[in-house]
Amino acid sequence: MKIRTEEFNTIAKKEITNAYARAFLGLLPPIIAMRRVQVMGSFPDPDGAMALSRAIRGESVARLPDLLEAFEQNATQNGAKVLWARDAKEAKDIILSLIQERQATFVTKGKSMVTEEIGLNEALAQAQIKPIETDLGEFIAQQLNRPPFHIVGPAINVPVEEIRDLFLNQGIMKEDTTDPVQLGYAARLFLRDKFHHIKVGLTGVNMAVAETGTIINVENEGNIRFNKSSPQTQISIMTPEKVVPTMEDAMHLARLLCRSCTGQKISAYVTMDTGPKKADEIDGPEELFIVIVDNGRSKIYEDPQTREVLRCIRCGACLNTCPVYTKIGGYPYGWAYSGPMGQILNPLLLGLARTQDLYRACSLCGTCKTICPAGIDHPALFLYYRALDVKGDEKFRGMKRPWQERMMFYLWSRAVASKNLWQLSLKLGRRLMKRKAMNGWLSDGGKLLPGWFKERDFPTISDQTFREKWQALKGGTYGRP
Amino acid sequence: MDAREEILGRLRRVPAPTLEPRPQLPPLPELALSREALLERLMDELTKLEAVPHRVASMGEAKEKLGEILTGEGITKVIISTDEVVSAFDLIAWGKERGISVYLPSHFPDREAFKRAVFEEVEAGITGADFAVAESGTLGIIHDRHQPRLISLAPLVHIALLPTSRVVPVYESAISAVFKRGKEIPSQFTFITGPSMTADIKATPFKGMHGPRRLYVIIYDAQEGEK
Amino acid sequence: MSKVSLFIPCLVDTFVPSIGLATYTILNRLGIETVYREEQTCCGQPALNAGYRHHATEAARRFISIFGDDEVIISPAGSCVYMVKRHYPDLLREDPHWYPRAIDLATRIYELSQYLVDVLGVTDVGARYEGKITYHESCHILRGLGISQQPKKLLSAISGAEVVPLFAAEMCCGFGGEFAERYHYISEEMVKDKVNNFVASGADVLVTCEPGCYLNIKGYLHRQKIEKAVVHLAHLLAGPEFLRGENEN
Repeated sequence: MKIRTEEFNTIAKKEITNAYARAFLGLLPPIIAMRRVQVMGSFPDPDGAMALSRAIRGESVARLPDLLEAFEQNATQNGAKVLWARDAKEAKDIILSLIQERQATFVTKGKSMVTEEIGLNEALAQAQIKPIETDLGEFIAQQLNRPPFHIVGPAINVPVEEIRDLFLNQGIMKEDTTDPVQLGYAARLFLRDKFHHIKVGLTGVNMAVAETGTIINVENEGNIRFNKSSPQTQISIMTPEKVVPTMEDAMHLARLLCRSCTGQKISAYVTMDTGPKKADEIDGPEELFIVIVDNGRSKIYEDPQTREVLRCIRCGACLNTCPVYTKIGGYPYGWAYSGPMGQILNPLLLGLARTQDLYRACSLCGTCKTICPAGIDHPALFLYYRALDVKGDEKFRGMKRPWQERMMFYLWSRAVASKNLWQLSLKLGRRLMKRKAMNGWLSDGGKLLPGWFKERDFPTISDQTFREKWQALKGGTYGRP
Repeated sequence: MDAREEILGRLRRVPAPTLEPRPQLPPLPELALSREALLERLMDELTKLEAVPHRVASMGEAKEKLGEILTGEGITKVIISTDEVVSAFDLIAWGKERGISVYLPSHFPDREAFKRAVFEEVEAGITGADFAVAESGTLGIIHDRHQPRLISLAPLVHIALLPTSRVVPVYESAISAVFKRGKEIPSQFTFITGPSMTADIKATPFKGMHGPRRLYVIIYDAQEGEK
Repeated sequence: MSKVSLFIPCLVDTFVPSIGLATYTILNRLGIETVYREEQTCCGQPALNAGYRHHATEAARRFISIFGDDEVIISPAGSCVYMVKRHYPDLLREDPHWYPRAIDLATRIYELSQYLVDVLGVTDVGARYEGKITYHESCHILRGLGISQQPKKLLSAISGAEVVPLFAAEMCCGFGGEFAERYHYISEEMVKDKVNNFVASGADVLVTCEPGCYLNIKGYLHRQKIEKAVVHLAHLLAGPEFLRGENEN
């Protein structure tokens, strides 16, 4: 997937005027957000349920290396093969050789964000192995070569006419229809044939349970189940932070994950795999490979502040309530992860320099932090990234800010440090503004605040600031009973 | 240094933080329900999911209901699992009487033959369920040689036979039985909650995306001696 | 009763001093003696938000040295109170001299409505307003400080007023400090939604406890020539002389 994080403003400005996208964003995320609130009501103590899921994720991150080792040991004991990859290249090499050794010419994939992150599909295609996305939304997004619009509905914004044209062109259906259900059934038939004949199935991992070595996936469609049942070989790809201490923890997280993600109590299918199939089973994988892909996470882990990012369970609840995401959709974030979830992760994986807008395009409203079942403080992280960027932090590749901005804040800080300089600056500013003001209002700031003044006015500096009014008040009879 | 050592090494370079004690949650309300209330709750949840529940009094009535469902769906070819619940129904003989072909996994010599049947030939899969979790109308199925995975996945229709004794209040009830009691852990344990579904195109929901389009659950009271 | 020290945010001092005056008027009417430390300038939030922690930390130390001995500090701005309570300890964590003072100061600083209702136990401050009021829940007030019931109680106690609900009251109005300038095209859409919801509520006036939100919404209304009134809570509680239309100067 091409990384377009530097094009945030260009893409966002385009999307914000896209009436079709705006219609969706005004409808679907609020509906899921509302359903989430309703279904959280099924807990006798919803706040308590959130507190527990946050504690579980906090523990998962705090004990990460030990839990990973325990997971590996138990998974291996049950017959799974656990492989480790430091980065995208290593992961792709491992997965590619596994597939090539088994002489598969195509593979089917369940939804896996990390495989998008490492660019697995491109690598497979280059090696003449056809990767077929099987989650309906991912399937469509893949055919259209687009990034996901929303983590839960990657192609939910795509007009049905476009899907119809796509399916007809690709030979996925013969009938000319724009009925979403018929389109879905056409995709079903096409993919069913693939499920039947796959030799290797790829999945992501929602949770990796340390105490039993079990990998867990949640889904509504059934495509992941097919990837885990039909082929002889299953390759499940995860990042280290997916570990969870116990099966009970996993159950509680599943409740929060599904409620947060789609407003359901639980998704249609939850599959829990512990090792490959037993010798006497007729279906299920003979070999189960679990690939743990680091790709920057251990570096993130080293910093106690950025480490908190690893709590994320990819539920997407933050997207649905974000006032910024619900105006611009997923494309402007420029990579596999969008919304607040992407804003905290992409800068750490891609570097702060090329993701400048991702941690700045936020009013710090804190709604994401409030509804996050994993306990992430997104606004605090954005402030931290901004500070690292200003410093030109080496580890996360901050770029240091333009000298004009640094100078401006230096001058500002001098005014803040001295009441007299502060007052003087205001007096000067007042005189300058008076020329352009009408009835105490400015409609144009000249070189100052051009963005603000596009659609908003701003008051001039008052004829008397509060300090000046107070000084006039002292000794006077203003307001005294 | 290999990848594993390097990754774990980097993760261990930082001191582990102290853990806060976990908050205590009130027990889930389902744990306090009587058996009848649990069953009612299960039926309610299944209905909401459009997983059609049928509550009957005995295995005999369950067989009748099964016949009705298959007739209603126009189904004449089914594949069944051979777990103890389904085995007790003796469906091969029963099917012969009704002109319904009943396949067992053991009929097939290998994975390919089995897949051909389950993907292309049969119209329904009939399974037992090891658990039915009242909190969300969820069936819990342990997969093993008697309970292949594809039977409840590939055919368009899935029919689950459920003795009332298998109803439990919450997920943890099933998990502790499957993962903890010193037994071998099954290769796969699946929660099924309603038919397969999606709303990925234009946010229009429909059932039967990849998995079964329709799910029926026949809930019966097993008599003494039956399962 | 001890004196109350007024923390008047930079935006209020400079652009909307009426909010500060109104705050003073309310407290005065309730018999609370106030003091205004003239050395104060800014809490440092703009620097923190832009990533200039060094400058924000300097501002924090200065603030603490100005207000450090005051028993009670009140401000008509949630985001500034949040800055002091939540961020000052964080900024000064490595400073053994200032960190304990920051922690201590955090226990003595209040947002205006919080002080009136939770500390003074007052909901009726003798305010009058004939008409419909609706309340915008600012981000730092609601989610930062957990303040929501207090302004609502004060509004309900206003004689002659009817409080009507605002759809998506908790949704951000799009100010966010530098955000409104740098990402103005997104901010505009957010304030447009807020204003549409305000109009749809049927209220005569929109009330906020946050000067930033006030400037944002009022600035939009003014440019777009939409004839609807926005006030700060302090304006509404202080008296009719603060409820003028345009020019607060």
